[in-house]
Amino acid sequence: MIQSSMATKREIIRLVLEGRKPPYVPWSCGFTKAARAKLEPYFAPIELELALDNHLVKLGSDIGFFTDLGDHRVRDIFGVVWDRSIDQDIGNVEGCLLSEPSLAHYTFPDPLDQRFFAHIPEKIARYPDRFRVFQIGFSLYERAWTLRGMQNLLMDFYVHPQFVRELLGTIADYNITQVQAAVKYDIDAVYFGDDWGGQHGLLMGPKIWRSFIYPVLGRMYRAARQAGKYVFIHSCGDVDELFEDLIGIGVNCFNPFQPEVMDVPDLLRKHRGRLCFHGGLSTQKTLPYGSVDEVRQETRSLLKLGQTGGYIFAPAHDVTGDVGLENMLAFIELIQNQPGYGRN
Amino acid sequence: MSLLDDVRQSVIDGDMQSTQALVNKAVGEKMPAEQILNGGLISAMEEVGRRFECAEFYVPEMLISARAMKSGLAILRPHLVAAKVRAVGSVVIGTVQGDLHDIGKNLVGMMLEGGGFEVIDLGADVTAEKYVAAVKEHHPDLVGCSALLTTTMPRMEEVIHSLREAGLRDQVKVLIGGAPVTEKYAADIGADGYAPDAALAAACAKKLIQEKGK
Repeated sequence: MIQSSMATKREIIRLVLEGRKPPYVPWSCGFTKAARAKLEPYFAPIELELALDNHLVKLGSDIGFFTDLGDHRVRDIFGVVWDRSIDQDIGNVEGCLLSEPSLAHYTFPDPLDQRFFAHIPEKIARYPDRFRVFQIGFSLYERAWTLRGMQNLLMDFYVHPQFVRELLGTIADYNITQVQAAVKYDIDAVYFGDDWGGQHGLLMGPKIWRSFIYPVLGRMYRAARQAGKYVFIHSCGDVDELFEDLIGIGVNCFNPFQPEVMDVPDLLRKHRGRLCFHGGLSTQKTLPYGSVDEVRQETRSLLKLGQTGGYIFAPAHDVTGDVGLENMLAFIELIQNQPGYGRN
Repeated sequence: MSLLDDVRQSVIDGDMQSTQALVNKAVGEKMPAEQILNGGLISAMEEVGRRFECAEFYVPEMLISARAMKSGLAILRPHLVAAKVRAVGSVVIGTVQGDLHDIGKNLVGMMLEGGGFEVIDLGADVTAEKYVAAVKEHHPDLVGCSALLTTTMPRMEEVIHSLREAGLRDQVKVLIGGAPVTEKYAADIGADGYAPDAALAAACAKKLIQEKGK
């Protein structure tokens, strides 16, 4: 089959980023290991990634590389140990690598480690029509707290502000070096992940965010924009008060667009053409607790909102293992049955 | 400003050194420990909670204020014991089994402590059995359960069920919270209270204590 619109996925994503009407609403959906374990047998023998037919191809390594320490523990390239006995996808930080507010005895890993780049040509060749996104997870505040501990870092904003500026600046230097290497490949966007929000507002508040984080983000995003690449970002939580700031420093697309903490229809209409949204389907309520009909209803209204552009459909988080297979299939079937979409 | 006002302000400002110096000064001037606690430390944390609720304060401000309050409380504690001043109530808190996220639970613990409660923190990944054992050992007034994930929320109901099975449910009030938790969910599983954030958790805990006393 061919796509009736004749547009490639890459072109369709570009259309929605510019706020223009796409032939159908594109999507890029993620699933945790536990959710994949339910979906994979359903689609077998077709590989899940092929069955989903996502419109983004993810390049780089968003959370980095790990050394297995046994007993469900792994060490990342920054030296941080993660306990994966419960959260098998990312894990939870164990201990505190920077127990003192100082970088004097710490050396950052090599941002040009070939493992970040070696797979890019092969993956682009495998999914040539998809929009290519080089991912950097834990890109600033989150990298800082994984090294220093979340409570320590949040207090350091007041108690050791110079250390925080040095730490964030060094993390940004690391990322910028990686972005400069990534843009030498035929990629379309750089995706920076960083969680700033809680269920009600910013964890660190707007004053601290604008003083410490915003200037460093501007420097990182500029590295991608100056190379002619789009900037995608991810921040969980209630952060829509930052959208004007983020647009001002070059952000093109925001994920996860959680409906529990922001007004999805209002924001989509308000920012269409200036900021695209990726996500939107409730993973805190509808997917785990709603009926199939409720999942269909929410998916349909998101697809309707996205018809005029500015939107990439996805569950607002990688779907978790407590979501029933029938609820996962409910939204997958609807997005793939859109008029205008035809599998290549 | 009075010395007590200065103690209060130093906690609101998150100035740990000043809090310690001012509490020491108040103790040295023979100010009753209970007065320093209520008029200085607890009053300050109530104000911190109020500012958090109206988005004047965020987590960093709450953390440094709690740190100052705890440092003052450490100085004051032997004097409170000597004066036989009792806590407002006692609370066993934890993040439920299968969930290792603890900053929300830690903030709740700090605000409860700042509200005059004795806090027994069981940590993260706490099984229903551990909650039951802690209730048997510490005889708290309240049990607080936190969960960040939809996958771990059902463990809260297990805690309530286990307390009931152990014949302890009537002895404690159960307060729950966490990102995906709602008031409706709390009602559905038979919890006594729900708080959407740490500041309101302390207020809710006080309300539950009052109800328990009736």
